[in-house]
Amino acid sequence: MTEAAAGGGRERMRVMRTPKSVDIDITDRCNLRCRYCYFYTSPADVKDLPQEEWLRFFDELNRCAVTTVCLAGGEPFIREDLQDILAGVVRNRMRYSILSNGTLINDDIVSYIASTRRCDYVQVSIDGSIPITHDSFRGQGSFFRAVEGIRCLQRNKVPVAVRVTIHRQNVHDLENIAKLLLEDIGLPSFSTNSAGYMGLCQKNTEQVQLSTEDRHLAMTTLLKLIEKYGERISATAGPLAEARGWREMEEARRRGLESLPGRGCLVGCGCTFDKIAVRADGVIVPCNMLSHIELGRINVDSLASIWLNHASMWKIRERRSIPLSRFEFCRGCEYINYCTGNCPALAYSLLGEVDHPSPDACLRKYLAEGGKLTEEVEG
Amino acid sequence: MAEDKPTVNPSVILREEFDDWAVLFDPDTAEGYALNPVGVLIWKLLDGSRTLNDVVGAVKDNCEEVPPEVTDHCREFIGELVKQGLAGYEVNK
Repeated sequence: MTEAAAGGGRERMRVMRTPKSVDIDITDRCNLRCRYCYFYTSPADVKDLPQEEWLRFFDELNRCAVTTVCLAGGEPFIREDLQDILAGVVRNRMRYSILSNGTLINDDIVSYIASTRRCDYVQVSIDGSIPITHDSFRGQGSFFRAVEGIRCLQRNKVPVAVRVTIHRQNVHDLENIAKLLLEDIGLPSFSTNSAGYMGLCQKNTEQVQLSTEDRHLAMTTLLKLIEKYGERISATAGPLAEARGWREMEEARRRGLESLPGRGCLVGCGCTFDKIAVRADGVIVPCNMLSHIELGRINVDSLASIWLNHASMWKIRERRSIPLSRFEFCRGCEYINYCTGNCPALAYSLLGEVDHPSPDACLRKYLAEGGKLTEEVEG
Repeated sequence: MAEDKPTVNPSVILREEFDDWAVLFDPDTAEGYALNPVGVLIWKLLDGSRTLNDVVGAVKDNCEEVPPEVTDHCREFIGELVKQGLAGYEVNK
């Protein structure tokens, strides 16, 4: 799309003057090499910036009235200067969250986090109810250390979030994982996703990614767990989100609805309307999963200007006006007017195109491969 | 008196969004408060150097169709900001 075309979008779309939040890969380093990590081998896999660069950038975020940052990586707790970095976040009037594998969390840093009273949550990845399941793709010893990390956060009264990434080795363990997290450890809730075709997962897809049968099992199990635990289990992507989304789409088809509100175009992602991301090398990108789209560099280019004016940001926002009927991939699909086109980052990693529906969460494709919807819909 | 000259809580963020509307975000509580354009104007005046009467005067100068109860409205609004911890009064001034 040209600048002029992007400008047309600017007239139609209302966008905040500055991003509300920023996702920051605070480090490139990690003590683990999980076999489905989206980060490694991606364009985000770069060298770390010194602390001074981040602190300077946080001053700019303050001037931009950014309210929250999400610190990820890599493994944020591997940074020896994490406390100084968090102090910079707090000094600049922001709240923060941290995404972690949990294995490097200790009382020293967690007591500091608690003292800031600005931490929304620390998210720890737990992929199994027992070491053999969790460690299968994360490495020996990581389960016990991650659980101890959660205990440490709880002990210090820091809000804990847990993300369960569903893959071939743990899809049969979901009930036990829910029991571990919600009953034994006593978390208020956890969220789920599944290993996506990004980063290291691209090399290990046969071992890692859910088959069609696995996917159905995951959806069925998660919906049963929802009956038991209610909204304590959530998802914005992966089998649980698909189970709900696909059920809604099938229901619409059965009822003969012309469309679902806001569907039928590439509306699968709204992230670029309220947040932006930064790679570990300081390159500003639209999303840490679209890290090949370089928009500028922190402390060199103006974040506010990139947010409001960069053609690539508008091109991604403008995806929302691209009808699915434009794509050969969607031609003849009876779900087309109920579909969102799904995640642009997965579309890119699978097809090399951002402006394309992602085949990964395509209901028609799933059914064609022998997939079944959940019983409530099949009824 | 210092009590006459309210000032904003410096930790609170003013996020100006669309059409001159804004949100006050208190990072210590994670609470957000919507402000209309007049509220934004008043917020920007609360720097510890202006009395309520100064603020009312500025509102009259910058806004159209100002109601006769403007002083009461401004007092209530500033009082609510103080009550929520979003503004206060400097001591020992």
